[in-house]
Amino acid sequence: MNYRKFIIRLFTFLGGIYFFLEFVLPGKVAGVQIDQYHDQISRGFIVVGAMAVGLGLINLLMVHGSKIIFRRKGAINSLALLSGLFLMMFVSGSVWLADLNRANSVRKITSLASFAERIAQDYQIKKKGVKPYYVRNQLLKDAAFKALNELDNSVNKLDLSRLPESSTDSTLLKSLKRDFTVAMMESDNALAKLQVSESDKPDFSANNKVKQSLQTVAFLSREIKSVLYRYSTIRRIYTLLFDGLFVSLGSAMFSLLGFYIAAAAYRAFRIKSAESTLMLLAALLVMLGQIPFSIWIWDGFTDIRLWLLSVPNTAAFRAIKIGAAVAGLVMAIRMWLSIESESFERGTEL
Amino acid sequence: MAVEHATAGVLIFMLLLVLPVFYFIRRAFKESDLYVRRIAGIGAIDEAVGRAAEMGRPISFSTGITPVSPTLYAVLGVLYYVARKAALFKNRLILPQNDPQVMAIAEDVMRDGYRAEGRLSAFDPKNIIFLSEEQFAFAAGYMGLIHREQVATAFLFGFFAAESLILAEAGQQVGAMQVAASESPEQVAFFICTCDYTLIGEELYAAAAYLTREPVQLGSLLGQDRAKLVFFIMIIVGVTIATINSFTGWQMHNLGWYIRYPLW
Repeated sequence: MNYRKFIIRLFTFLGGIYFFLEFVLPGKVAGVQIDQYHDQISRGFIVVGAMAVGLGLINLLMVHGSKIIFRRKGAINSLALLSGLFLMMFVSGSVWLADLNRANSVRKITSLASFAERIAQDYQIKKKGVKPYYVRNQLLKDAAFKALNELDNSVNKLDLSRLPESSTDSTLLKSLKRDFTVAMMESDNALAKLQVSESDKPDFSANNKVKQSLQTVAFLSREIKSVLYRYSTIRRIYTLLFDGLFVSLGSAMFSLLGFYIAAAAYRAFRIKSAESTLMLLAALLVMLGQIPFSIWIWDGFTDIRLWLLSVPNTAAFRAIKIGAAVAGLVMAIRMWLSIESESFERGTEL
Repeated sequence: MAVEHATAGVLIFMLLLVLPVFYFIRRAFKESDLYVRRIAGIGAIDEAVGRAAEMGRPISFSTGITPVSPTLYAVLGVLYYVARKAALFKNRLILPQNDPQVMAIAEDVMRDGYRAEGRLSAFDPKNIIFLSEEQFAFAAGYMGLIHREQVATAFLFGFFAAESLILAEAGQQVGAMQVAASESPEQVAFFICTCDYTLIGEELYAAAAYLTREPVQLGSLLGQDRAKLVFFIMIIVGVTIATINSFTGWQMHNLGWYIRYPLW
């Protein structure tokens, strides 16, 4: 056996035994917390899976790119597909960047809010190696005033004229702006009350108020930007492409099922054999039991329908599911012990 | 947070399921003439591939929306067989794909199939077509592909959800011979209505063993049949205990209690 195969088999075995033990054993066995790193391990698998997405992209580029380059049959369709792909990638990327910028614009404020709380905590636990609380409060005050000023300027610069005057979002935005102004004033007041000189009796109630008011300011500023962002050109293009086209086309495909079920039912219910006759009778009884006016014909249809669905139908479903589950378990064991790979390596004669 | 399932009952239960499998795999290596009953749908795979060869039109093999799972590996056994047959008869085999991870594995298996027949040069990776990860976008892409390529044969093996009927109808519309296999009872009904042959539930897992007569697959197929007997006996015992309790008013513990009884 070569090293490549050996390594794959070893990792398959170790991965399998880990997940098996994680399932059968409690979190802690003989003092060892065995599920300590379960989240990290599970995330690792997600990362490996995410890498494969690139394969899909490469395949699309190869298959459709070659059609366009060599002008094969269907090149126009391939061009439409790749144009759609790149357009959607660009628009989604822009939306993602805008979301990121919005989050970053208030990151400084949220960090300062956490810092206000930390100053009080550090004093209470008498943390060593940090500056005295009043010095830290002064630093917090200076930084917060500066950050609030920047944020206020950025919010004031926003172009509110994008919103239609009569829309509900316009009303919401006015209300948010009003709340934002109030929160800014509260933050200023709270910052002014911070203890910035040594006192016999340190009081951290102002720190708590600073934390709360800064968090409110951050939240409101993000909300204002979010409401405005809905009316930006890139967001409108994204909504048009995703909700307007993609979701609608998906729904159209799903709605095809209604017609296909009718066509399939017609084929299935033709009386060709004893089995299909039985199936037709069962379907007829279930349909009669389902429709509201069946009770006007005979009130026993509902009971027959229920019996058909809950007894013979459920029994068959369970039999299929048990059989598939046992087969799946056996297949999983073969994969875990790498016995299955023999099947693809042997090259048996057909 | 992990839950404790490590009880003596679970251990015995798992051994009862697994030991027959290992025993029959071992036996299959020694005896090559182990009997497996004929399943019409599996026999039709050869017929379907032959039909495509006669008509000179492509074969489509879809794994649906199967993720990387034991089901996929069962499907890959059939794909390997179909790929070998397609290579042998110089058929074009198309693999519409929904999951990039599955696509990478399926491509390897298909390539192995062509290599096993000594026709690696005929293998074209462009026949493995990634359509979309989105369920209905995949279904739409599949429909278009089937219509454009006018496939003679369509295999639908694996896990399918609401898109199953859309896929099967597409094959029906172009007059393709269709063989489907799914472990989901809800989708099996749709396949029975639209496909020529349908493998139900565990038959999907039996297909590769039946086709290749591979000792590992054959042995585990026979082993899992015995394992199912364990379930059968448990159902009988469980129903008997429940019936006795119901008629006599006794409070006998049923099997679930014994299986969950803690080991320590």
